[in-house]
Amino acid sequence: MTQGLRIQNLSKRYGNGVQALRDVSLNIGSGMFGLLGPNGAGKSTLMRILATLQEADSGSVLLDEIDVLREHDRVRRVLGYLPQEFGLYPKVTALEMLDHFADLKGVSNGSRRKALVEALLRQTNLWDARHQRLGTYSGGMKQRFGIAQALIGDPKLIIVDEPTAGLDPEERVRFHNLLSEIGEQVVVILSTHIVSDVSDLCQSMAIINLGRVLVEGNPLELARSLRGRIWQKLISRAELAAHKESFSVLSSRLLSGKTLVRVYGDAAPAAGFELVEPDLEDLYFRHVSQAGGVPNGAASGAAA
Amino acid sequence: MIFKIIRFDVARYVRSISTYIYFLVLAAIAFLLMVTAGGAFQGASVSMGGGGKVLVNSPFTLTAFISILSYYGLLIVSAIAGKAAFRDFENQTHSFFFTAPIGKAAYLGGRFLASMLILAAIFAGIAMGLALGTAMPFVDHTLFGPNHLRAYIQPYLVFVIPNLLVTGSLFFSMAALTRKILPVYMTSVILLIGYLIAASLSNKIEEKFIAALLDPFGTIAMARVTEYWTVSEKNTRLIAMEGVLLWNRLLWAGAAGALMVFTYFKFQLVYALEGRHAPRKKAAVEPAAAFIDKTLPAARTFSTGANLRAMLRLTRLGFRETVKNIYFAVIVLAGVLFMIAVARTTGALYGTPTWPVAYQMIELVGGSFALFVLIVITFYSGELVWRDRDARAHELVDTLPLPGWVLFLSKLAALCLVQVVLMGVVMATGMGIQLAKGYKHLEPALYLKDLFGLKLIDYWLLCVLAITVQTLVNNKYMGHFVMVLYYLASTFMGQLGLEHNLYTYDGSPGYTYSDMNGYGHFLPPVFWFDGYWAAFAILLALAAHLFQVRGLATGWRWRRTLARRRFGGPQRWIALGALAAVAALGGFIFHNTNVLNTYRTRKQREMLQARYEKEYRKYRNAPQPRITAVRIRVDLHPERRSVKITGSYDIANKTSQPVDRVLVSLPENFRERDLQFTPAAKLQSDERAMDVAVYRFDQPLAPGATAKLNFSLAYAPHGFSNNQAPTFVVYNGSFLNSGVLPHFGYQDDAELAEDNTRRKYGLAPKERMADLNDVAARRNTYISSDADWVAFDAVVSTSPDQIAIAPGELVRQWTDGGRRFFEYKSRGKILDFSSVLSARYSVLRDRWQDVALGVYYHPGHEYNIEKMMKGMRAALAYCTANFSPYQNKTLRIMEFPRYAVFAQSFPASIPYSEAIGFIARVDPKSDEDIDYPFYVTAHEVAHQWWAHQVIGANVQGSTLMSESLAQYTALMVMKHEVGPDQMRRFLKYEMDRYLTGRSLERKKELPLERVENQPYIHYNKASVIFYALQDYAGEDNVNRALHDYLQAVAFQEPPYTNSVELIDRLRKIVPPAYSYIVHDMFETITLYENRALSATYRRTSDGKFEVKLKVAAKKIRAGELGEEKEVPLADWIDIGVLDKDGKPLYMVKHKIERNETEFTIPVDRLPVKAGIDPWNKLVDRKPDDNVIAVAKL
Repeated sequence: MTQGLRIQNLSKRYGNGVQALRDVSLNIGSGMFGLLGPNGAGKSTLMRILATLQEADSGSVLLDEIDVLREHDRVRRVLGYLPQEFGLYPKVTALEMLDHFADLKGVSNGSRRKALVEALLRQTNLWDARHQRLGTYSGGMKQRFGIAQALIGDPKLIIVDEPTAGLDPEERVRFHNLLSEIGEQVVVILSTHIVSDVSDLCQSMAIINLGRVLVEGNPLELARSLRGRIWQKLISRAELAAHKESFSVLSSRLLSGKTLVRVYGDAAPAAGFELVEPDLEDLYFRHVSQAGGVPNGAASGAAA
Repeated sequence: MIFKIIRFDVARYVRSISTYIYFLVLAAIAFLLMVTAGGAFQGASVSMGGGGKVLVNSPFTLTAFISILSYYGLLIVSAIAGKAAFRDFENQTHSFFFTAPIGKAAYLGGRFLASMLILAAIFAGIAMGLALGTAMPFVDHTLFGPNHLRAYIQPYLVFVIPNLLVTGSLFFSMAALTRKILPVYMTSVILLIGYLIAASLSNKIEEKFIAALLDPFGTIAMARVTEYWTVSEKNTRLIAMEGVLLWNRLLWAGAAGALMVFTYFKFQLVYALEGRHAPRKKAAVEPAAAFIDKTLPAARTFSTGANLRAMLRLTRLGFRETVKNIYFAVIVLAGVLFMIAVARTTGALYGTPTWPVAYQMIELVGGSFALFVLIVITFYSGELVWRDRDARAHELVDTLPLPGWVLFLSKLAALCLVQVVLMGVVMATGMGIQLAKGYKHLEPALYLKDLFGLKLIDYWLLCVLAITVQTLVNNKYMGHFVMVLYYLASTFMGQLGLEHNLYTYDGSPGYTYSDMNGYGHFLPPVFWFDGYWAAFAILLALAAHLFQVRGLATGWRWRRTLARRRFGGPQRWIALGALAAVAALGGFIFHNTNVLNTYRTRKQREMLQARYEKEYRKYRNAPQPRITAVRIRVDLHPERRSVKITGSYDIANKTSQPVDRVLVSLPENFRERDLQFTPAAKLQSDERAMDVAVYRFDQPLAPGATAKLNFSLAYAPHGFSNNQAPTFVVYNGSFLNSGVLPHFGYQDDAELAEDNTRRKYGLAPKERMADLNDVAARRNTYISSDADWVAFDAVVSTSPDQIAIAPGELVRQWTDGGRRFFEYKSRGKILDFSSVLSARYSVLRDRWQDVALGVYYHPGHEYNIEKMMKGMRAALAYCTANFSPYQNKTLRIMEFPRYAVFAQSFPASIPYSEAIGFIARVDPKSDEDIDYPFYVTAHEVAHQWWAHQVIGANVQGSTLMSESLAQYTALMVMKHEVGPDQMRRFLKYEMDRYLTGRSLERKKELPLERVENQPYIHYNKASVIFYALQDYAGEDNVNRALHDYLQAVAFQEPPYTNSVELIDRLRKIVPPAYSYIVHDMFETITLYENRALSATYRRTSDGKFEVKLKVAAKKIRAGELGEEKEVPLADWIDIGVLDKDGKPLYMVKHKIERNETEFTIPVDRLPVKAGIDPWNKLVDRKPDDNVIAVAKL
């Protein structure tokens, strides 16, 4: 049983002047933790720092008693990491590759390793494709293989960086199922810019933008905190600009040729608005647009 | 459209920092090269085909510099031209371009032309660097002529730009068609091989033209076009597109053009090439995921053992990925092919090969195959270090729970294993070559020892360096470049005066394997240095490990932080241990090389030479005693590599003045020395570094008085030195000559010889030799300056299993105290020129009349001893019949190890290197193979007359009476043995060597009459000249003149004869019609430009043939630097018509008086070829165009 991950005042600035993380503090217990934020928010930087791949300028990170920023070797022994982007040796089969990783992760007993590799391949539904070369794998299969290698060796800290980007809906569902199987006993950090990944999977979460943590908590509770302040209206496309001028528009999307806008407000902003039950997306846009960092296109893309 | 693409690309290159780096690096190297060649650094020099009187900024030297540097720039061409086609695929931007309205031609053409433009700009850096170098105030301006812009531009027009187009289009096409970058690198390897194979072909005279065509860079063609250029031509002529160079350029430009056209048609504007991995989707419906099985807590271990296992696994993987890949196979295959190509002519002399003995095969690794090993190391160090990142799997690998050393060492180990494979390949190839040539003595143990015991260490050290560089630089291409710079630096360090192996990575004194002496005493110092560098390599590896990038942060600040963190307990101990080892081994080595032995840089040696001249030249004309009798006792201890020489000289004052001080030369490395003069003389000064001591007689030695010198000298090795230890006394095959004995007087040879060097030390330019009429100089022979003819007696002792040999007749031999003794005594007086050899010999004995003959050879080297024996008999017979009786009762040949490659004639004995003739493979069935063991033997035997009976004075032209006459004698002996047909092939080589030799002359070319010990003149030119002389004057007449000359001057006392006396004799026997030839042949440098212009034949009514032949002729006199002047013709020259076998149907000397002449010649049978001087009897710079095919009219 792990006590979790304590991140304190973590900051990171790149050589080109971009401040990727500003004073980030988070307490992450066991279970699935969602890290939500637009592209460029600093999610991957945080993930990589946790995965020992990048240095931080200041701050501290403790995983139980391990100093994550300094004791890289100890971290790596309990780490399962699925990078945002990765390649695999295209001419090697999944079975060989996984066996290789298992061996390198210290599973040195041959029969144990064989059993472990088989179990992982079955769990990730790659058993039938185990003799296929990795170069022929589709995006979803590759991601599942990535999870399989991350799960080797019973990790205490699992970091999954943007795993569903680029997957088709079917593969995404399958991937969510797989993630949801990972134990409650370990810290799982899922970074994503897709709101439903978090709402589907996580008990706790944080929204991060421009290197800052904007809000953290339980997704449902956080959404609930907006209750009574989310308004919705169907308008024509021509009216959108005016609405954006006058109201605090969180998101807009097309619905049967008209535009459905959701607006934040303590009271009904105008006639025709109806009060709706808030969801996590509202919270996300509320925070992200407040912070002013997200261009509209990205927001509507994410909402689509 | 194409211009927009070019503009866009060029702008991109202009913004890119690497463009400037490439430019600056090329310019900097060029600058350094130029100022070094220009004498900016004392004791450092560079010359590429130039040197001597060839100006450093002459068109020829500039072309050499520019073309060679641009050749090193191949890496830049592949990076830029390859990348130009590859970039869009690499960045995945090709979809944008392919969907934009750009034509294929514009896309490809634009990309290509832009890369060519920028490459041309980058390579212009070479010329700018060179030009800047010439303008520096600190260079020696006497080495420079005026700068001519054309001289800088011409190499670009002829070499650089065509080569950029050729190689660039290759690289570009490779990248465009395969959409990968690796094939580009492979192409550069293949180009290199093409060049090397072509270069190896050019060893054979018949294959030079093909070689010049095949070389894609045109450098061999350039060498071919300029091979006979004289100094003055090199200084003034621009290298123009002509002859084989033009054909070469056209051929390769055509190939490049064809390739670009091919690429244009083949290139597909599609997203992915067909047949490539379009992701195959599995259609099968996958069942829902099962629950993660938590009952499988993997038992993990993180012990050191587990880490080692992981390292092995990673090593195996890295090794397999390297070796199993097609590119590796290509490089290795190329290396093997190259080895085979080179092995064809290894050790060949006059086109005759040797048996493929194991050490030759192994030495191919140190020579030709080494390049491929370097390529593999340079290239795959980058691949291994970047493998995970290139596969984008680095985030997975870097987060593995493995310590950093596992990741690092596995890469190093994989690269080291690859070297083992390469050595195995070499061994298999070498043995394959041996078997294929029908040679069964494979010596696998020698291969194993040398390849896996010695060479492998060097390559492993290089692996560590390469991996370290790649890791520290953390940029693959920069890493490659840094390695190339390292190779360049290590090549030129010695020339820059940095000569100590303690600061030359992987440096060691090296070793030479010899069949006779094995590895001898060479290996211990090599291992000490290896140990030193291995300890240093551990430090390098440690630094690489500490600073290796793991993860995504590559900033130096972070790498330093990480390095500090990684520098834990074990690392500290390793660092400490390695440092201690470097210090201890370095100290030990330094003690050996610089304390027990003397270490001197070239500059220091030159300074000593200069000092010697400045301080002791005053003795040059001071009266000095002369040696009249030599008695020595030489105790050789081969097993200890030591020798003790005791002896006495009878000396006399043959001058007309009293001798007060004696300047004695003594070799520095004979540390124990004791000289006692009777009457007494006292030691005045002793400067061992300059090999001199000065003694002063208590009572000056009066004119005509005699005296005695007793001496005792001892040499023993002390530790080891920075260079290979001396080889005059070794375990098996000792060879020391009279140079180690005390000598009197000032030694002209010890002066600095090169005028350029002399100038650096404030010495005036010096003539190589005294004028041929210099009366004072004629008091000495050119062999010694302190003796005339001496009586000689030597007792030599050696270990009981060896035979020791000195000049003269063996008078007795005995054993005493477990050692073998031999006493030799000269019959009559001999030159003071002796040698002592000792080895475990087998002996082949024979007799010729009353002369005992012997060949003392190394068991196993029986191949040619019969031929040598035959050579001795034939030469003895020829010389006694034509010149005079043989003065000894013995004649022997003794083999000595290949530390030196020559054969040399001492009285009655001829030391003969194992590398010259003993392993020659003369095919008895071939009428092409020149039997050089026979020929060299004949030459050396002839020296018993032409040197040991007739010796020239120490003036110009004296080697005409030794080397040239020995050469003439050998030619005649050979002619009677093999017939004139094979002689023509031999003379072709001699002509080629003469013409090449004069083009490399550093001071001045002289006519034979005044030859200054210049081998290309007294051997090679003399062969051609004397062969022609006996053709014009008749062999018997020539021999009669030589006989009379010998009678007149043999064993004479001073003044000694000079070349004028010989030439006067020859002049008398030349028929009056041909009398001009003596002047042409001996007193001037005369060349012909003879050429067949056209030849036709028609059948005459009587069934015979009539040939109409038109020829051109021109006669030229050349000056000392090759300046030419045409002189009028009135010369008798062969006009010939040949049949299909090359046999003459007509061969008559005609008097040619015009530049063009026509002949009508009736012949009996079908004529095939016809021409002027068809058999190249006259010196002609283009011997190939003398004959022409006869066409039917």
